[in-house]
Amino acid sequence: MNQERRSHFVPRTAEGRTALVAFVLLFLLSMPPVTHAVLDRPDTWIGGVPFLFATLFVVYSALIGVLAWAWRKGL
Amino acid sequence: MEPWVVATSLIFIYLLATVVLGIIANQRMTVDMEDFLLYGRQAGFIVLYLTVVATFHSAFAFLGSGGFFYTHGIGFWAAGTWTVLVGAITYVLGPRIWALGKANGYITPADMLADFYESEAVRVAVAIVSVVFTILYIQVQAQGLGYIINVASGGRISFEVGTLILLVVAAAYLMAGGLRAVYWTDVIQGVWMYVAVWVGAMYLAYDLFGGPLQLWAEVRAQRPDLLSLPGPEGFFTPGMWIGMTITLSFGIIFQPHMMIRYYTAIDAKTLKLLGATTPIYLMTLYVPAALVGLGGAVAMPGLDVPDRIFPELLFAHAPPILTGVILAGATAAAMSTLDSILHANMSVLTRDVYQRYIAPDRGQGHYVWVGRGIVAALLVVGYFLSVRTFDFLVVLVTLSGSGALQLMPAILGVCFPTRRTLTRVGVLSGLLVGLGTLYVTLLVIPHPLGLHGGVWALLFNAAVTLTVSTVTEPPSAETRDRIHGEVEHQIYPETSS
Repeated sequence: MNQERRSHFVPRTAEGRTALVAFVLLFLLSMPPVTHAVLDRPDTWIGGVPFLFATLFVVYSALIGVLAWAWRKGL
Repeated sequence: MEPWVVATSLIFIYLLATVVLGIIANQRMTVDMEDFLLYGRQAGFIVLYLTVVATFHSAFAFLGSGGFFYTHGIGFWAAGTWTVLVGAITYVLGPRIWALGKANGYITPADMLADFYESEAVRVAVAIVSVVFTILYIQVQAQGLGYIINVASGGRISFEVGTLILLVVAAAYLMAGGLRAVYWTDVIQGVWMYVAVWVGAMYLAYDLFGGPLQLWAEVRAQRPDLLSLPGPEGFFTPGMWIGMTITLSFGIIFQPHMMIRYYTAIDAKTLKLLGATTPIYLMTLYVPAALVGLGGAVAMPGLDVPDRIFPELLFAHAPPILTGVILAGATAAAMSTLDSILHANMSVLTRDVYQRYIAPDRGQGHYVWVGRGIVAALLVVGYFLSVRTFDFLVVLVTLSGSGALQLMPAILGVCFPTRRTLTRVGVLSGLLVGLGTLYVTLLVIPHPLGLHGGVWALLFNAAVTLTVSTVTEPPSAETRDRIHGEVEHQIYPETSS
């Protein structure tokens, strides 16, 4: 009766794995230690905006991009 | 006309509009629990989008976030991590919860967990956690509303009276139109708050500094301590950054007022699109909050209550009508979360307590009326909680999120089939240990080793849940097949049998 089920924590398609890896890697860029050791550069500015703020905005946007890509691919 | 008259009048016009919507929703309502509590499971993308974002962003987003940037600096831009994570969680978890809700007629989170773990004890524990920790959230929103109306009226309407008025209005349209009224008002509230915070922040940036870039330059010149981590008071340590990310994403999603929204979607595709797109709104709302908080630290230093920075700046520098429109937007932010929490608590208490244990065989209309009575009772409780304490908003939100976060192992056990199934004894033990750890790591020894107390509690919870589950009896094979089979069919329809 009870079926042995494959885990749902690991994606089963190549595109699913790509989306997961891309999201996790990008997400790690928005977390310590990267934020505190690499992005925290108060003397560096990009286009008149603090480096930390600007780079995190790019990372957050890229993360949203991954979700949008996954949706378009029907994952 | 005096600024406070304009501001207060606009807020009252807004409140009137919400009551009218509640009445219209009442006329569309059928006497049915699924309609009253779940919008008949018919919410489409636009309505669901705006209710989710408006519910997620509360008084905290409008007031607390500006106050946080004001006090602790740029570190609060960590907010982007939890808003993006909310999207990802919705994308992955939402369709699973939706499918189970539709297939099995679930109305509350406890319905799902009690069904899978075959345990009334699980139902009661989840219901208690759901209500206790979201009542804290009622307090946060009600206090935010009290702040707003007190500031808008220039102190002429007291915090206590302002809180009462706004609580009564939210409860009134909820009682009249159920979740339909909540969703319809959330549509207005979601649009209004987003436009209001952006317009207000940009107006202040140009009026005070000549533009956003000049604002940043002025902060750099006058308050460089606000532009580095961990901030002037050392708050944004790595542990706190990680902790807030987890508690304010998973912890908010697992609160009943957010989880119930997954049940209400018209289909799973809508939820996936929601997950992919909600972070755009959620994250970008913190950009103007940064301008307000950081610019405010330069323009208006030394505020006793930093959460008031946005309304104080508006009153000092913006035209009255703009101030009124924006403060009505702040009211919308608080009310859209408050009504959803009142609704969720009503659903839990009506469904998981009253219908289950007190009066199981009554008609649908009876439960709808009991739900309305429960809203009235919650209004009284929420009011007294709100006027008794007066803490910093974000601390309360974090505590609230940390509590609901302890449901995470149990929920993942239902929604993610694995080879090793969690058990009722496992999840109950884990929940008990998690809540005990939470008490210690938030109140007795706050945030040990710099890691957020909610995360400590989750780690202990997960360890106990997994360990106990290895030596106790899992749910029956029939239940596992039924529920995990439904998830398998939803996520992998091409391979499920």
